Amino acid sequence: METTDAVILEGVTKRYDSLTAVGDLNLRIGRGAVFGLLGPNGAGKTTTLRMIMRILIPDEGSIRVLGRPLDDNTQDLIGYLPEERGLYPRMKVRQVLVFLAALKGLSEDEAGRRVGEWLERLELKEWADKKIIDLSKGMQQKAQFIAAALHRPPLLILDEPFSGLDPVNAVTIKDIMLELRNQGTTIILSTHRMEQVEMMCDSICLINKGHNVLSGDLRAIKKSYGKNTVRIEYTGDGHFLDQPALVEHVNRFGAVVEAKLKPGADPQEILKAAVLNGTRISHFELMEPPLNDIFIEKVSEGHA
Amino acid sequence: MRKIWLIVKREYLTRVRTKAFVWGTIAVPLFTVGIFVFQIIVASKQPDHSLKIAILDNSGGLSTLISGGLTEKLKNGQPVFRVVETIERPASEESVRRDLLAEVRQHQLDAFLVVPQDAAAGTPAEFHTRNPGELMLTRSMNRAVSDAVVAQRLESRGVAVADVTSVVKGVDLKLIKITRWGESVVEEQMFITAIISGMLLYVTLIIYGVATMRSVMEEKTTRIIEMLVASVRPFYLLSGKILGVAGVALTQYLIWTVAGALVAGYGATMAAAFRPDTRMPKIHLPASLLVYLVVFFLAGYVLYASLYAAVGAMVSTDQEAQQMQTPLTMIIVLSFLLFNVILQDPNSRLSTILSLIPFLSPILMILRIAMQTPPFWQIALSLALSLLTTIGVVYFSARIYRVGVLMYGKRPSLLELVRWLRYT
Repeated sequence: METTDAVILEGVTKRYDSLTAVGDLNLRIGRGAVFGLLGPNGAGKTTTLRMIMRILIPDEGSIRVLGRPLDDNTQDLIGYLPEERGLYPRMKVRQVLVFLAALKGLSEDEAGRRVGEWLERLELKEWADKKIIDLSKGMQQKAQFIAAALHRPPLLILDEPFSGLDPVNAVTIKDIMLELRNQGTTIILSTHRMEQVEMMCDSICLINKGHNVLSGDLRAIKKSYGKNTVRIEYTGDGHFLDQPALVEHVNRFGAVVEAKLKPGADPQEILKAAVLNGTRISHFELMEPPLNDIFIEKVSEGHA
Repeated sequence: MRKIWLIVKREYLTRVRTKAFVWGTIAVPLFTVGIFVFQIIVASKQPDHSLKIAILDNSGGLSTLISGGLTEKLKNGQPVFRVVETIERPASEESVRRDLLAEVRQHQLDAFLVVPQDAAAGTPAEFHTRNPGELMLTRSMNRAVSDAVVAQRLESRGVAVADVTSVVKGVDLKLIKITRWGESVVEEQMFITAIISGMLLYVTLIIYGVATMRSVMEEKTTRIIEMLVASVRPFYLLSGKILGVAGVALTQYLIWTVAGALVAGYGATMAAAFRPDTRMPKIHLPASLLVYLVVFFLAGYVLYASLYAAVGAMVSTDQEAQQMQTPLTMIIVLSFLLFNVILQDPNSRLSTILSLIPFLSPILMILRIAMQTPPFWQIALSLALSLLTTIGVVYFSARIYRVGVLMYGKRPSLLELVRWLRYT
């Protein structure tokens, strides 16, 4: 098993004085997959990532990356896009990227060559000799992504990689991520955007208050909840959903609603109510609950 | 090690290429030289026309001698002082003084001299002038009055003297210091050399200490620190940064030394060509002093820079940095305030003790070395104590740095700092 896992955390604990940021966390992240690390604000995600990066040292437990215990050299195997972004504002784009790649063990010549390719691909070529401070926020974001991926690490940790990107750039970054995944790179994706997780992640771990509350294969997790949700697009009166006997709760997104059914409720009853109500239905789908609902449910369980 | 080298290189290159470095390299020596030149100009400033003065002589007879002694000439050959009026033993001194004062105020006179009745007994004469700051004028006046009084005394003892100055001229005392290896002449230039060396250390320690702090703060506030500590151990990062900035400082020293040598050499050649009789001020700057300057700069710099770096890691805003760096800067300023103790007696017990105290020792020991090189064991002991302190300080600073660079928000209290030291 060990050789197939990119990252293994066993009993990892990190305390700050009286606050336990991460408590007895166990985690296995398979190689060559996109892994979603999820959790509410302050759940311990950043602390966990920092421990994997060896920026922080756990108080207890062990961490193995690519089959090796952490040391100065494992840092070079990981690319890191931190949530707190930043590059030297007064250095030129090319210089910063070469410097950061060289710190990861790449020769400066090789780094220089690759920077050219990456800048070309992310449409930053004309900006190579501009200072970071002259770049727009989105461009800085792309430069930061290059900084994480330039040395072709087998493990890539991306903390909110899409924040600040317009849809076009977000698609570019997403494509690159999937391409890297297909080349065998393991990607840890930490984000609050559940639709991104549903689209990209193979497996996930949801942590809350420093503990693993849900983890495993994303499809399997969703399947385990069963098809208990209906997604309806309609025009007209929406009162047909006011049926406490059938519906547990409703998420309204304007013209679209997602209604979670009570156990044993028949979705046909809702359809019938809509027709009787005179509402026009353009889409009616029985489906697994969205990850967003699972997330909210699991996190609020923890608070109960 | 490769990673430290990369950090050093980046720190060095980005700094040396800044305008601040170029201007700092030019401005500091210009400023230092400027102060000297300004003082010399002020002290030797000549008026552009003869000064009309009056002498009120209560002693009787001295005014002639004084007038005769005021022989100084302006550049255009006119006398500096022209005595337009002499009043001997007036009936009412008060009214004469009032009149003279009025004449000076109405610009009919430039100044007036009052010679007391018993000047020969040592009662001071008074020189009333609108510009008491013109040192050259007051000095010539002082000499003329003095010489006149001396001449009168000699005459009363039966010695007639025409040129008092040449009679009372004494012999200078040349100081020769005995050291273990031989003897060396102590010259006034040594004071200048010592002050320049001390000032140089004082200024560069503060400038480069603060530069290190700013560099740490920049990485923290721009958040690139997270990328850096994901690649390099914080201690390597800190070491690389301190070494890189030290390299910049040494480069500046090198430029100053070479430029100084060129200017001095060129100046001496020019002076010799145009005015063979010019006595050039000799700059007493032995190679050993240069070596000590570099050694003590590095010793002091690493000590202070690691503390400045810790301050930079603790704070998130400029205002906080300003507050937190003040105690550090005060210690350096304290060394500066102790300059006089050392200059007055570089080998006193107090000087010796002060120059051994870590934090003060870099600046104060270099002053002693420039003045009169102390026994080698004292230099070695001073360095050793400083080094030991540095090791301890670096140990604590590195821990504060490691925790601090990832902490944002309010600056830590003393209690929190102690907790930081305990984090593994």
